[in-house]
Amino acid sequence: MNGVAIHRIRLQRGSAVTVRVGAQIRPDEVIALRRQPLDPVRIPVARPLRRAPDDIDDVVQVRAGSRVVAGERLAGTGTQEVTAPVGGVVLAVSHLDGTILLAPLGAEEPVISHVRGKVRAIEEGAVAVEVPAARVRGVGGTGDAVHGELAIGVQNPEDELRAAAIDVGATGRILVGGSRASAEALTRARAMGVAGIVLGGVLDKELRDFESIQRRRREAGGMTGSFGLLLVEGFGKVGIDPQLFGWLRSHAGRMASLFGADGLLYVYDAGTAPIRRPLPRVGERIVAHRRPYQGRGGVVVALLDGMHAAASGIPTRMALVRFEDGRLAPVPLANIEATLAAPDH
Amino acid sequence: MNAGAQAIASSRSTTEVSLLLDIGSAWTKGIVVGRSVGRWRIAAQAAQPSSWDETDLIQTLAARLVGAADQRLTERLVTILGDAPRITCHTPARPGRIALAAVSADLSGRAARRAAESAGWVVAETATLDDERPAAERLAALQSADVDAWLLAGGFDDETGEAALEMAGLVAAARGASQTPVLWAGSPLLTDRVVNLFEPRMVRALPNPRPAVDRENPLPLRRYLEALLERLVEPGGRRQLAPVGFSRAVMQLARGGGRRISAIDLGARYATLVLADATGRSESRVLASGGLTSPTLTTPGTPARIAHSIDLPVDELAVADALQNLRARPGALPQTEEELAIVHGAARMLLEQLVGDESAFDSIDLLIGAGRTIAAAPTPAHAMSMLLDGARPLGVTQLAIDPAGALGPLGALEDQEIGEGVAMLRDDLLAPLGAAVVCRGGRSGQAAFRVTVHRAGWPSIGPIEVRGGQLQLIPLGRGQVAELDIELEPGISIGGARRARRSRASVLGGAVGLVLDARDVPLLLPRRTDDRRTILAAWRDALQHEPHLGTREAT
Repeated sequence: MNGVAIHRIRLQRGSAVTVRVGAQIRPDEVIALRRQPLDPVRIPVARPLRRAPDDIDDVVQVRAGSRVVAGERLAGTGTQEVTAPVGGVVLAVSHLDGTILLAPLGAEEPVISHVRGKVRAIEEGAVAVEVPAARVRGVGGTGDAVHGELAIGVQNPEDELRAAAIDVGATGRILVGGSRASAEALTRARAMGVAGIVLGGVLDKELRDFESIQRRRREAGGMTGSFGLLLVEGFGKVGIDPQLFGWLRSHAGRMASLFGADGLLYVYDAGTAPIRRPLPRVGERIVAHRRPYQGRGGVVVALLDGMHAAASGIPTRMALVRFEDGRLAPVPLANIEATLAAPDH
Repeated sequence: MNAGAQAIASSRSTTEVSLLLDIGSAWTKGIVVGRSVGRWRIAAQAAQPSSWDETDLIQTLAARLVGAADQRLTERLVTILGDAPRITCHTPARPGRIALAAVSADLSGRAARRAAESAGWVVAETATLDDERPAAERLAALQSADVDAWLLAGGFDDETGEAALEMAGLVAAARGASQTPVLWAGSPLLTDRVVNLFEPRMVRALPNPRPAVDRENPLPLRRYLEALLERLVEPGGRRQLAPVGFSRAVMQLARGGGRRISAIDLGARYATLVLADATGRSESRVLASGGLTSPTLTTPGTPARIAHSIDLPVDELAVADALQNLRARPGALPQTEEELAIVHGAARMLLEQLVGDESAFDSIDLLIGAGRTIAAAPTPAHAMSMLLDGARPLGVTQLAIDPAGALGPLGALEDQEIGEGVAMLRDDLLAPLGAAVVCRGGRSGQAAFRVTVHRAGWPSIGPIEVRGGQLQLIPLGRGQVAELDIELEPGISIGGARRARRSRASVLGGAVGLVLDARDVPLLLPRRTDDRRTILAAWRDALQHEPHLGTREAT
């Protein structure tokens, strides 16, 4: 979809929304504050109140799930009381040892919108924003929500994004790669402060290796900044459809928002992105989605009558496609999509 | 014909056609049912990706009717089909999502998870006391979970342990002010204390699915979860949900035919297993993430397992990419031989997971395969191979497929109509693949059982000795009946009541024939890659090539 899209920013339960319906927000704007729970602490109740551990029900004044502030009374018997040493969430009241399990809440952390637009609604667990942008929907992705200027990292859509090609010039940007990037290239991009990467394809193994490296770095506590990855065509070495690549290239320098886990890219102040439509017609440009032609562009020369067996033996409706490298091949109609140029491109 | 049959037959008197539609998450199946020489038959069928327009499906169906339909109607076929009465079922628009908090992953957690998954829920987040995460991390994960309901489990029925209460407290803290329902399926001795952690009337207490360390009782929880799913996620139109319609149609087939039937529908998102008997009793298991886009297929180690189960030299990395592409674009078709082998390997693994430890699966009369991957496989032998390898139906079993995908929509008929609907199309609903004799036990290369095949009007075949690890195919065409004399070697079983060393069985042929399968249950494969590929290729050849000289065998 292009033009205006409604994007839902999911919020962790307990987050406090800081924007109002109707407000215009920027990608770097704080829309909510959240406090992450920390490792819980046990607060003795039975001993200070001189009660048996299994006899504290009538003195405890909170229950699991209660939010308390520092100094708030948790339990008491007239003059004696037990107060919360820190603010947090009560997780349990134990009758085994007569304690209250309290998860302290960490410092307030901002939730960044990462999108530009108008707040349409505040829902349970989400903020809905009307985003005035062209939307590119991918087939997968990973990582955080990010925003930054769109930049082109390869010459051609079928080129691989190499680690050596990523330098400080890409810091804070969303880089459009080509057919693949290695785990090394992705790690370097993140280390250089690249906000996000758009790829035609990536090898499942490279992606897993990259995620594994990130996980280890996160556990070691040495990771800063956010990073998102969007996959627009498929897994393996798959070039970006040349038409889409051309459109992305023509919008280099525009602000964009990338939501890796949702497989979405918004490009602001942009013309309509190329549209994909199933069941292409004769004469239309297509992109193929399955091997051996995955990611390749071509033109439908004819639609074959009746059912024909693919190389796999599955009988199906087929199109005869002239691919850009000159090859002419029958391809299952289910495996191709028409790519229609944007009207203003 | 009563009112029920009119759902199929109540078209205009001039055309007498009806349209059955199964709108799946990846593919839509359309079937034209028409009256021919006084009988209702499936006149045409077609399938297309669900992303295509419905008019394309109607045009394809109309094109397939040309030549078969009255020539005077040829020009009007698209209009006739467009106007025809419809019986429709569809994959649920979205699965219900549930968060599970339990004391242990292996006991209370496993029982509750299985109940939830079998009822068609997706377990979006799981937290257990033994999941090796700090409590803060567990709480944060539950706070981030986007779910329709919360399921709490833990504590055996005679326990008042604090561990289950701690998990309940964690959920109370994570859930906050949300109005999503909470289900308590743990020790009844803790019910009051759990209920007190939440707002009034928010907690529903249910029987414990793991009441004792050595006992599971998942059914009451599963039943409640099925009802809750229907109420929360897709209120109304339960019959129109494909897994429900499929189960109802299979139940009707079992009742109508007086047989014990097991049926498997493997779709892109959902996988449904139904066990039904002649009395009309049925049990189903619906996995909302059990289909070919299941995330389990891309978890570490699974692509390697699938690579090991196929006879082509495809490496684990290529398998992983192909499975990811299958998830990304479930409406696309395997185009190469390698991709087909990967998809079929994945299907076998999913069938294995779906069937699980379902002991009731042994000694069924008929096993039905449905879903595009199985029922629209390139050849009947591919379908037979997936069903035999994935489900391992112990004993003597007939196998068939639902090639048109008609069972789901027929099951969407009302209670009083479904019997007649299924009966009217009985001859066309299923495509028989043949029969199989599958045994458990034995050693590779040693005699497992002997079979003598008696066919009316033909010389008897056998006795055929089947050795451990062997797969043999006997020609037995569709409609051909054979009587089998089966003699088992010591230590070999064909399950259920057939404990005697000698037994007799009557089987019907089909598109593949009679398969004698002594490959053990579960299927065992050699560790060495070359040996494994050789044996896998031999099994494939045994099923896919025309049998000659009476039998074809593979060791």
